Amino acid sequence: MKHGMKLDEAEYDLGLSRSPEGYRLHLADGQFPFQLQAAEEGGYILRWQQEVEHLHAAVDGDTVHIHLRGETYCLQFEHALQRLAELNEASAADAIKASMPGSLISLNVAAGEPVKKGQTLLIMESMKMETTIVAPRDGVIAELHVGAGQTFDKDAVLVTLEAQPDA
Amino acid sequence: MTDTTHWPFQSVLVANRGEIAVRILRSIKALGLRSAVVYHAADARAPAVALADEAIEIQGDTPVAAYLDGAQIIRAARTAGAGAIHPGYGFLSENAGFARAVAEAGLIFVGPTPEQIELMGDKVRARAFVEKAGFPVAPSAIEDDDPASFIERARQLPLPLLIKPAAGGGGKGMRVVRDPALLEEEILRARSEGQRYFGDGRLYVERYIENPRHIEVQILGDAHGNVVHLFERECSVQRRFQKIIEESPSPALSPALRAEICATAAGIARSAGYRNAGTVEFIYGEGGEFYFLETNTRLQVEHPVTEQITGIDLAQQQLRIAAGEPLPFSQDDIRTQGHAIEFRIYAEDAAAGFTPTTGPVLEWQPPRGEGIRMDSGIAKGQSVTAAFDPMLAKLIVTGDDRRQAMQRADAALQQLVLLGCKTNTGFLRRVLNDPAFARGDVHTGFLDAHPELAQEPACDAITTRKLLAAASWMTRPLRDAADAIPDLHAAIGSWRN
Repeated sequence: MKHGMKLDEAEYDLGLSRSPEGYRLHLADGQFPFQLQAAEEGGYILRWQQEVEHLHAAVDGDTVHIHLRGETYCLQFEHALQRLAELNEASAADAIKASMPGSLISLNVAAGEPVKKGQTLLIMESMKMETTIVAPRDGVIAELHVGAGQTFDKDAVLVTLEAQPDA
Repeated sequence: MTDTTHWPFQSVLVANRGEIAVRILRSIKALGLRSAVVYHAADARAPAVALADEAIEIQGDTPVAAYLDGAQIIRAARTAGAGAIHPGYGFLSENAGFARAVAEAGLIFVGPTPEQIELMGDKVRARAFVEKAGFPVAPSAIEDDDPASFIERARQLPLPLLIKPAAGGGGKGMRVVRDPALLEEEILRARSEGQRYFGDGRLYVERYIENPRHIEVQILGDAHGNVVHLFERECSVQRRFQKIIEESPSPALSPALRAEICATAAGIARSAGYRNAGTVEFIYGEGGEFYFLETNTRLQVEHPVTEQITGIDLAQQQLRIAAGEPLPFSQDDIRTQGHAIEFRIYAEDAAAGFTPTTGPVLEWQPPRGEGIRMDSGIAKGQSVTAAFDPMLAKLIVTGDDRRQAMQRADAALQQLVLLGCKTNTGFLRRVLNDPAFARGDVHTGFLDAHPELAQEPACDAITTRKLLAAASWMTRPLRDAADAIPDLHAAIGSWRN
């Protein structure tokens, strides 16, 4: 299992090594030498073959944000071990995540409560619109991660579900 | 510099946040007055807090609720020793009850009288007032005039029709009717939507203008009955009924039409005895016809466009008017020079239906250069959260003419760096470079008619590799691992694909 980097929906296996002048990017379709250094005026200078590009980059955890020629990109680093672990994880949709940032208007369930598929769990507000979040399957509320009035980011876990104990 | 020593207030509290709080604080300081600002803990690291002479924390169940808590804000003004409150835009800026409470507390509200807010804030009343004063409104039928004959009167109007909730705003509950057979059904639907969104099912129907432009006129009125206009702004590029690009002059108006529409706006403000900065909005049809839409009794988001081409500081004028000063110029003194365009920088993902984005501000580098003005309320180290409106900043670009302003805007949007939270700058550049926009050929449905502008262009293979290289180098575990192995080993192939 190799390290990975996600750009939009695409995932790339990659590695990085030293080259005589700088570094070398290893991709499935080849190796690409480059140099990168901090620029005096801020940002970084990328030397790639005969080209020189000025870019800006910043790291937030495993996320790298890059500004290149007026466009901004967001790349997600995936450590080899973490990718391996994810393969073995059960894929049950136990964590209900926010599809967009917003705030919680009301919670309609309590921890420990059994819920039916389609039942309203909570009502959130985003972009001045109300959205109802329903249970994706039958189960029991394991934990509520946000309170009424609280705001959250995209992909924040709102509610976790656990399997219904056998009757 | 204006002599403010005799003014009834020597200190002003700004009851707002973000870029507009910074903007107003600058004008307060330029007048030599003391400044204060309220802030919620979520904004503790915002530039306005650092800029004000005094910053007073306010609380609420949600951050927005704090900025809407009039009583708490009035207490903050007292604590700060402020004699006046500037509400900015949004929040309490068009709340007649708040304006009244400020006056009752012995403070000065930097804005119109509560009565003017009430008159202009009610769309149906404002419309009736404007029509009675002899200015153009779209042919319409208002349910309240005689509910029994409402549908009959609506039927008499020329098609297509637009049904609007009387208490409406933001485009909610509006329905277009092209087939007269569907009129009654659509009225029922609009009524239930109006009831749901605004708790008020009253409606009115007016003639619908196809592919309309949104043209508005900036006005200033003082307490002595003087009213002037500061020319128009065109704000036709909108998404979800919200403006994103505004400019002045409008590319659509002939000199004669400009004079007519501006004189109409000033006339409406004069009839209302309007006091404060305000905006009269019009709907402008393809045939050159224009109708009154509504009046905004506040400083608008897009006011810098007007400031850039007239050289008049509108926030300072608001403060002067609130202090009882007469306008320092007459209509003939107001001239425009050049062309200005404003771009609203939003934390949002245009390609994902303009959904808001959040994140830390890791890097923030506003563009610099001739003709570039950046009104922003963000700073590196701050976080963009879902608690507030996603507008982060405004880029205002001025040139000798529209072409030069557009060229400067393209360079400025490309230079603008904000990392950590996705913004709409790439999208704004695509709109700017669209041939129809370049011709000034836009209408309020322009973005809906060009959904491709919201899509991000695919990244070519070489750019992708460059991004992966830079991202790998920036990622600590990858670079540490690379640095741990000398190049000799790498060169002989200890690393295998």
